[in-house]
Amino acid sequence: MKVSMSAKAFRLLLAGAFAASVTVLPISGGFAAGETLGAKCTNEGESTGTFSTSLVCAKNSAGRLVWTKVKLSASNLKPASALRAPRGSIEFWHWRAEDKAWFDKIIADFEAANPGVKISQVISNSVDYQATGIQKARTNKKAALFTTFRGAQFNTAATTDFYTDLTNEQFTKRNVIKSMMGAGQYQGKQLGIPYQSLFNNPIYNIEIFKKEGWKLPKKFSEWISYCKTAKAAGYTPMAWMGGFRAQAGQIINSALMNTASTDALLASRVAAIDTGKEAITTAWFKEMAEKYAELRDAGCFPANPTGVTEAAGNALFATGKAPILPTGSFSMGGIVTLEPKMSGNMGITGMNWTEDVNARYTGITNNTFILGINKNAGTTEQRIARAFMSYLLTGPVATYYANNSKQHVTVLDVSYTDVNLRNTSSIMSERLVLAPRFLFLNIGVRDALEDALIAIVGGTSVDKALSDGAAVIKTKV
Amino acid sequence: MNKTETGARKGASPRPKTKLARANDRVLILMTLPAVLIYALFYLYPTINNLRYSLTNWDGFQEAKFVGVDNFNRMTEDGVFTKVLGNNIEFTFLVLIFQTALSLLFAIFLLQNSRISTFLRTLYFFPTIISSVSVAMVWQFLYEPNLGPLNVFLNSIGLDFLALNWLGSETVTLRAIAFTQVWFHTGQMMVVYIAGLQQIPAELYEAAEVDGASRWQQFKSVTWPMALPTTAVVMAYTTIQSFRAFDLVFAMTGGGPNNSSSIIVTMIYLTAFNEFRFGYAAAQSIFLIIFILALTALQRRILRTKY
Repeated sequence: MKVSMSAKAFRLLLAGAFAASVTVLPISGGFAAGETLGAKCTNEGESTGTFSTSLVCAKNSAGRLVWTKVKLSASNLKPASALRAPRGSIEFWHWRAEDKAWFDKIIADFEAANPGVKISQVISNSVDYQATGIQKARTNKKAALFTTFRGAQFNTAATTDFYTDLTNEQFTKRNVIKSMMGAGQYQGKQLGIPYQSLFNNPIYNIEIFKKEGWKLPKKFSEWISYCKTAKAAGYTPMAWMGGFRAQAGQIINSALMNTASTDALLASRVAAIDTGKEAITTAWFKEMAEKYAELRDAGCFPANPTGVTEAAGNALFATGKAPILPTGSFSMGGIVTLEPKMSGNMGITGMNWTEDVNARYTGITNNTFILGINKNAGTTEQRIARAFMSYLLTGPVATYYANNSKQHVTVLDVSYTDVNLRNTSSIMSERLVLAPRFLFLNIGVRDALEDALIAIVGGTSVDKALSDGAAVIKTKV
Repeated sequence: MNKTETGARKGASPRPKTKLARANDRVLILMTLPAVLIYALFYLYPTINNLRYSLTNWDGFQEAKFVGVDNFNRMTEDGVFTKVLGNNIEFTFLVLIFQTALSLLFAIFLLQNSRISTFLRTLYFFPTIISSVSVAMVWQFLYEPNLGPLNVFLNSIGLDFLALNWLGSETVTLRAIAFTQVWFHTGQMMVVYIAGLQQIPAELYEAAEVDGASRWQQFKSVTWPMALPTTAVVMAYTTIQSFRAFDLVFAMTGGGPNNSSSIIVTMIYLTAFNEFRFGYAAAQSIFLIIFILALTALQRRILRTKY
């Protein structure tokens, strides 16, 4: 791929866009290790991007950091081209009204390349889609391509045999970043393709951090110190929005990520709470909840935190009253709408809740939606959906979608031109874990425990909040 | 047909209907058919189906399994349901008292057809025509604890102690939403009262004045008793409205914090569409129907017995 950019942009790209730092596999032989690509390899995990020719800065057998060619996809082959679609019409069901314009253009181009094909978008709002979207789509033979939320909704669709298996599709093997496919896997099969990639980590105001001479906190005690320093300087350290559970609950991802020594242990602990076998008063959860109290006592949150709405939280950050917005990369678009000057002034950082700077994970990644093909749709409709999905998973189409929607994607050979996407791509070189908040599949339970944590921030004692929450959870399992 | 004719027919065998009468009957039946069909399709069938689902553990996806009255038993043991029912009763009580009192008060003051009265009636009625979600958004903004105009104003005049965490406190939120509900619907009930008060014969007030009755005595002995039928309508409507205030509560707080502002309809929604426990939600909705019916019947009985 031809890349032409300034040295600064190149450095930004170098610093960013490495999603697979945890699971990526260096390819032995055949590729020349030690390529420098014009820059010195100094930071382990740093990569040249999400291209099929990406290099990663990794230690060689002698312990030296060298550029190593990696495979980001499940295949050594180049990304596959889009499939041809038979004549016919299908519906594409999703809730992303904000993406309608980009999908309109992509669909028009696809239809032009595939005469006789018609794709209509059926868009509900996210609440309705969560509530009834899947039930409606599953009985509609035209609803061949659909999206699901990660977690409970994907799981329900998977367990009710709604998905066509995509494991052996060429686009699954060759066009997507393998390490980012976890959210669409079920019992060893790739049932859905997570498309949009986001990072549920705090966004920070670059200018304020520079002006105040602050360093980004790297461990929990540094977060406490940051809060005290920022508060003393007259800022609201974190524009946390306790009046809106969906966003207030984002930091639970960071809180959870290093609470267990292995992923399996965390999953089993979460499952125990999710099914009512264990209460949230259990030691590990309580230990995590106590950190919420520590953050509260250090003045990290706004005044009256439990009443702060999403609009107010965003306003605090956009107007520079709060240097940190503890939600995620998906909030950046809204912030720029509120305050255009914030464009290019936002960075992203992981929130480590431990004292170990080398903790297993330093950041969170997630997927807004997972694309799937409806098993109940007609055969022709399924073929059209498959062809359109393969088209969405080509580099140029995904590049168009990413830069217009201002979101990262899981597709290979994507070139990010948006300044905010580039600035926040650096998080990809962190040790990322798929947002553990969505390990809770019982939404009633998840809501109740998040309410308990919000209550702690609001001033309730840890013991009372957890025992109240445990009582609510008992009614939900 | 007059009474004599009716009486003369008593005990006699009914006269066979003419061809024309039978044809008329058929036309009449046919004319009611669309309404009956719509009612059966959109009310009767869902209600019966709801009853059926309330006896199952249906999750909205998989085959529903019959569980008898488990869902109803569960309601009696569910602490959240009890809390939400308590919220709903408190919410309804607050709205009922303040909305009825204020709408009656406004109606009395704005009864005359003067220009100012007409303008103020329109002004007070105005919130009713705004969509409930818009009302929720406006009040969410007003109530915002740190940047919201209400607290900014209270702080600016030194009443900091009144600047509360309106939508974030477990003790205040429900009352704040009840206030919004009163603001939202008082104008509507005021119009109902004005229509009712205009039916009271002016002679009664004239007679009261001749007897030397004060304004308060006129209200107590003429206005209030004569407005009772209207009050019964206002109270029944307000009660039902308060139990159905889903959009306002959902858009303002989603039932939070910690279910402190949740009412039964929001709980039914969340149980069904957030937690996917459709069977349990169906049982809750049946409880709600029976509860509202009982409450309305009780209100009517009290008002009828007392006056």
